[in-house]
Formats: sequence, structure tokens, C-alpha cells
Amino acid sequence: MNTGSHGQMLEITNLHATVDDKPILKGLTLSVGAGEVHAIMGPNGAGKSTLSYVLGGRPGYDVTGGTVAFNGQDLLEMEPHERAAAGLFLGFQYPVEIPGVSNVQFLRTALNAQRRARGEDELSAGDFLRLARAQADALGLDMEMLKRPVNVGFSGGEKKRNEMVQLGIIGPKLAILDETDSGLDIDALKAVGDGINRIMRAPDKAVLLITHYQRLLDYVRPDVVHVLAGGRIVRSGGAELAHELEREGYGAIAA
Amino acid sequence: MTLALPSRREEAWRWSDLSALPALAAARPARVARDVSGLRLGDGPFLVFVDGVFDATRSAPGPVALGPVDAASDHPLGRHAAGTGWTLALERDAAASGLVEIVHVGNGAANHLAGRIALGADAQASIVETFVGDGWSNRLTAITLAPSARLMRAVRIDQTSGFQSLRDEAMIAENASLVTSVLAAGGAGSRIDGALTLAGVAAFAEMGGALLSRGSQRHEAAVVVRHAAASGTSRQSWRAVADDTATASLAARVEVARGAQKTDGEQSLRGLLLKRAATVNLKPELEIFADDVKCAHGATVGELDARALFYLESRGVPPAEARALLTQAFVADVLERVGEEKVRDAFLAAAGAWLGGAA
Repeated sequence: MNTGSHGQMLEITNLHATVDDKPILKGLTLSVGAGEVHAIMGPNGAGKSTLSYVLGGRPGYDVTGGTVAFNGQDLLEMEPHERAAAGLFLGFQYPVEIPGVSNVQFLRTALNAQRRARGEDELSAGDFLRLARAQADALGLDMEMLKRPVNVGFSGGEKKRNEMVQLGIIGPKLAILDETDSGLDIDALKAVGDGINRIMRAPDKAVLLITHYQRLLDYVRPDVVHVLAGGRIVRSGGAELAHELEREGYGAIAA
Repeated sequence: MTLALPSRREEAWRWSDLSALPALAAARPARVARDVSGLRLGDGPFLVFVDGVFDATRSAPGPVALGPVDAASDHPLGRHAAGTGWTLALERDAAASGLVEIVHVGNGAANHLAGRIALGADAQASIVETFVGDGWSNRLTAITLAPSARLMRAVRIDQTSGFQSLRDEAMIAENASLVTSVLAAGGAGSRIDGALTLAGVAAFAEMGGALLSRGSQRHEAAVVVRHAAASGTSRQSWRAVADDTATASLAARVEVARGAQKTDGEQSLRGLLLKRAATVNLKPELEIFADDVKCAHGATVGELDARALFYLESRGVPPAEARALLTQAFVADVLERVGEEKVRDAFLAAAGAWLGGAA
């Protein structure tokens, strides 16, 4: 595996997790270095979404063993909002609709809470709106949509673009993107891929792309591809591994 | 005055707790100087009542008259308030000069006051009342709207302790419109009673609001809308929020008389429980004697959406702030019904302040 010359940003060691007392992750080990893009691929039910929720700290996803270090800190000891303030961003497979809360209000509250937690000054309303407009423009999302309630009435593609707008506004160190490509047409897929590259391709940032299909990887070329099956990483390789999986299916490789 | 109070054995009062009232009725008011100038939102007529007594030095009543009020009621609480108070009577085509603001300050005992609003044909008024302080504040408000009159009414219940009981009785003539929005917060209990009659063809009546309760507080609204004439429209949208061991109760009834064809009635009662030990009671009722009507009602009680909470928290919003944001969203749609912009902003800010303290 390519550990590169950079320090490890995310270091997952022998992670075990259960959902409703059912073991899903069974000894998962993975490290992601700064400046790297890793893809995690795998069949349905392998534990891909569970991994993203465990890393995000979602209630109901219980860690029963192992460790996760994020920039040297114990990630599993942190509350979800503390993980965000520490620089972790979780892109949702199914972004949640929140009637009555506008995107602008939500994101300004979120960004300023993160800034407070890091001891930084809050952004003024004007500075925030300029930042939001720039990110919305870059993702081809109408600024008017950001004034509407969070994801309410958004199409599948608009919800995923909105996740990328959020990624751009928040500017995390590590983005864990769970099936960000699902349900996207080719234009939205390209916009989302461009967004990930523009926002996250930097020496001090890293991306963990969780996906079932290879197609997003045409736009966001991974440095490392991992195969997740049965709750652990069963194989890792370069970008060519994604093509191999696409060609031969998970059965042969995960066996 | 002998104080006869309704019993919880009566169906209409089963969720009420009036047990503090006899002691408040017997108490003497404390003399507390309270600055209420910060509550003033506009520069129109402004009236201050302290323990139900008009405070002329701090008031500029404009078109509002003080003295005996032409209102009577057989309502068990409202009838105690009949007597003196304030009257806003507008002639045909008249408009009140700006927003009429009334502040009621209580000082720990009991006070009773009547109000009357009588708008002539095509007249218009907008009025906001705010309750602050302590003690039992009991009010009767009689409203008559002549054809095509329009009244916007907003009530903010914000006493620190004690109890606030309001009784509204309205007669709404042809094409006239009454919109009443209530925000109940503060630390005291409340009972909001309404009896609205759509007496003329194509009348419009709306009464709704948000009840925010915490601690062992009890807020309650009980509204009856009666469609007595054809083609009327009524809306009752209420949001009840209960935290800790509080109780928030809503009883909303629509009655459609035999001749009131083409009635369009809608009730939306929604409750939000912020803690497992809190209580929300909802009772939507329809009584329909006409055959060509459209009456919709919905009643739901739930908790905050765990998926939405995690979504907010995963973006860095701390849990208490995330809960406040979602609770504010829950009540925002009814508070946004307040027509007067500065009143709407004040109500939304007051709800936000209550939620900020909910953490």
C-alpha cells in the first residue's frame, strides 16, 4: 500500500463495529495520508456505509473494538460536531431534508460553530454569503436554492451538488464521501467530480471515496483503491484495481 | 368577588390546572416598577396596563378609548373580566393609525380586564398585546367585524410566573377577515380560549400560534370556530412544544351549521416532545351539518428527527444548537403567519430566545 511520504491523516486499526448488535465491521485496517485520495469499493452489504457512519459518529453505530486516529487524535472519543470542527466532513448518500431551516442558516450556523470551536472569529453575514455564492456558482447550483429549506424539494442531483457546496463552504481536511455518485446523471457526476478535485486536491487534505461503481473514479482518480468485503479490507491496489473490479465483478476479487 | 372556577371533571377543562388561581386572586400586588419601553415595536398607539389599571403617563392611546366596555360573556373565566377596559372602535373605511400596541404588566396578584374591538365596514386595524410580569392576568376580548373589515391580532404571552387566561369572542361579517396569532412562552401557565363565529357569507377566520412550554409549565389553547354562513374559510394552525415535564394542549373545533355550504375549514395541530416525560395533548374536532364542505384536519405528535439532528451535528452544529434550530423550524411556519413585519420579527426573535435558553 502507498503510505507516501506524508504523515497519516486517518489511521484505522482493527476496527470492529455493530449495528443493532449485528457485527458489520470485523477488523478493518486502513490508513490515508495527507494529499491522498482513497476509494473504498465493495459489494452491497460489505459495510461501506457503516464505515462512513462510524467515522462520523452516528448514534446506533457502536464500535466494539479497534482504534481510529485522525491527525493523531482519538476520533472515537469525539462527538459528531467535534469531529467536524477537527476537520472531518461526511458526505451523505441520502442528504436529509430539513423543512423550516434554510441552507444559508444551516451552513452559517455550522461554519461559525466550527470556527468558534477552533478559536477563530465568526464570519459576518456578508462574508458568509459571498463564500456561499462562490461555492454555489462553482457547483452550478442556483444561489436561490441555498435560501430555501435544506434539501426540501431538491432533486437527487441537486442534493448531491448541495453536499459539494457544503464541502466547499466548510473546507474540511478529510472528506468521507458515501456513495456521492449514486443517482447522478452524467452532468451532475462531472460537476460533483470537479468539485471534489477543486476543493480537496491539496497536499494537506485527503479524501475517502466510498462507492459501488467505478464511474466517479473516472473523474476523481484515486491514489489507492481498497476492496471492502465482509467487514474488512480484503485487497488494496492502485487505480487499475477499480477497472479490474468493474470488469470481473466483486465475486472473483473478494473471494 | 367569589371565584367560581371550572373543574377538571368538565371535558373542556380536563387538561387545565387552575389550582394556583384562588391564591393569586386573594393576593395583593407587589409594587414593582418595570420598564416596558423596550417592548414597544412601532410608533403608533401604545397602551400600558399595570395590574389591569391603565397607566396614562406611559401611554399614548390614540383611537383607543378607556372606560366601561360593552362586552359580556358566560365563559367561566372570561365573565370575570367583563367590566372596564379598552375599546377600539373604527368607523366605516377607517384605519387605525399604525400598529396598536398594548402591554399588560402583572405584579403578582390577580387582574381582570375587558377589551373590545369593533371595526366598521371596510375598516382595518392591526393590534398586538404582550403580557409580562407575574400574577393572574385574565382577559375578555370581544370582537365584531362589519362587512369587509380586516383585523390582524397578535398576542404574546410572556409572564415570568402566574397564569394568563384569554377569552376571545368574535363575530365576523360578510367578507370580513380576522387573523389571530399567539406566541405563548415565558414561565407561566396559560389558557387561551377562542369562540369565533363566521356570521356572514365568505368570512375568513384564522387563529393559531405556538405554545412553548418547559419545566412544569402548562400552556393550553381551546378554540371553537363556528361557520354559521356559507362560503366561509377558517384556518387553525397550532404548534405545541413541551420540554422537561411540561404539558402543552390544543383543542380545536370546527362547527359547520346546516346552511353553511361551501365551507373550507382546515386544522393543523402538531406537537413536539423534547423530553420523554413531557406531554402534548391534541384534540381536533369537526361537527358538520352541511353536505357540501371541505374540512381537513391533521394532528401529529413526535420528537425531533434523529436523522436531521445527526446531519446538523455532522456539519459541526453542537447538539443543543441543533435541537434549537429544529425546534425553531417546527414553530416558524405558524409564526410567519403574523402579518405585521415588525411583530413577526419580534415573535420569531422571542421564540428564538426561548429556544436559546432551552439548552
